[in-house]
Amino acid sequence: MSTDTPPAPAAAGSSPGVPPILRLEGVVKRFGRRTILNGVSLSVARGEVVCFIGPSGTGKSTLLRCVNGLEDIQGGRILFNGQSVEAHSRRIVGVRRQIGMIFQSFNLYPHLTALENVTLVPIRIQHEPRREAEQRARELFRKVHVEQRADAYPGQMSGGEQQRVAIARALAVNPSLLMFDEPTSALDPETVGDVLAVIEDLAREGRTMLVVTHEIGFARRVCNRMVFMDEGKIVEEGPPDSMLNDPKNERTRQFLSSVLRT
Amino acid sequence: MTTGIADYAGYFLQGAAITIWISWLALLLSAVVGTIFAAAGLSSLWPLRVLATAYVETFRSIPILVLLFFCYFGLSLVFSINLSPFVAATIALTLELSSMMAVIVRAGIQSVSRGQWEAGLATGMRRWQVWRYIIMPQAIRVILPPSVGVYIAALKDSSLASIIGYVELTKTGLLVRESTGRNFQVLVVVAALYFVINYSISLVGAALEKRFQIVH
Repeated sequence: MSTDTPPAPAAAGSSPGVPPILRLEGVVKRFGRRTILNGVSLSVARGEVVCFIGPSGTGKSTLLRCVNGLEDIQGGRILFNGQSVEAHSRRIVGVRRQIGMIFQSFNLYPHLTALENVTLVPIRIQHEPRREAEQRARELFRKVHVEQRADAYPGQMSGGEQQRVAIARALAVNPSLLMFDEPTSALDPETVGDVLAVIEDLAREGRTMLVVTHEIGFARRVCNRMVFMDEGKIVEEGPPDSMLNDPKNERTRQFLSSVLRT
Repeated sequence: MTTGIADYAGYFLQGAAITIWISWLALLLSAVVGTIFAAAGLSSLWPLRVLATAYVETFRSIPILVLLFFCYFGLSLVFSINLSPFVAATIALTLELSSMMAVIVRAGIQSVSRGQWEAGLATGMRRWQVWRYIIMPQAIRVILPPSVGVYIAALKDSSLASIIGYVELTKTGLLVRESTGRNFQVLVVVAALYFVINYSISLVGAALEKRFQIVH
């Protein structure tokens, strides 16, 4: 594993005066009696790449899903660009248009081609002229290296190709925040690298991103800040190198030693 | 040979056209009513779910002939509502078929994975837009094949409307039989016409199914 210098952050984690793009204050999420998130507070600056690591079932994915209101919250609050995120309000649509989400299982629309997947919202919902939307989609396909697959249906593509089309779909609405929910967990090992490379390119462009991942090496290369979560709480956070080389918390140490051993 | 049934070809075709028309009308109404009850059955509000279940179970359990009598004679006797045979038959068929369509549409909607909803919502689509552009186009491929079966059932069940005097294909046959006395030939013609209609619909249905198939 290399120890390259991480990409320079476009903005520091807590630069004074600049309002954070995302702010979580004591967020609590419960499913029935089970508490999934137990008071999570976090502030993300523009241009920051934050990676979430930790054991399965500790609420990392749920945290992302609360940010764009796919899940409602039972306590605390979430501010996106200073605006309160409320899952069941009408304004949630406006918040979601500024947040691109990439799912573990891609969730491409199987009845549409790759190109139609990417242009659906720009053409049908935002009423952009078809030519412009398609041209932009093809540019995005070049960027994620699937330009030759524009007319293929999801069922005809490999998992890695599908996930890169899903990234293009998320980018098509010019989001100011990208969220990746275990983007490579459902992929064959040989296609993981292609997808990670695309995500690293996006990080280098200075995009603001939240990434839930089990790929620790990738996380170290790509992020400015690593957040270790366990049992619905943020246990430890900091720059990736110091976190990986010198974890302060006992649970972080245990987790890292178990995943880095393999 | 002055009473050959070939002379009645025009009547048979007219009867067949009426049969196709009334069952088509009932199918369209059933699709609308069925979709409403399917949506109610999937609602997060329990009274709507109870209502949907009650509707489906009630009309799925009552024979079409009983519904027909209820609409034609029952409403007249109890509420003094006199419906024409056409209206009574259309309502009875719709009640019966919409309970089947509700189940079919619901299964179609449920066949689309949750992730499709989430992907649509996450890109900032409103709920109805997700329905329109993502859920329905995928659900239709599950809904279509059994719907063809429902239409064929409607075509056959509509023959019962002859009992309340509605002149569709079967009733036409009965009338021709009375005036010609050719029992067997009339039955063969009527059966053949039903077969031609229903088999054509099966073929159209198969073609549509292919058209809507998703590439895997």
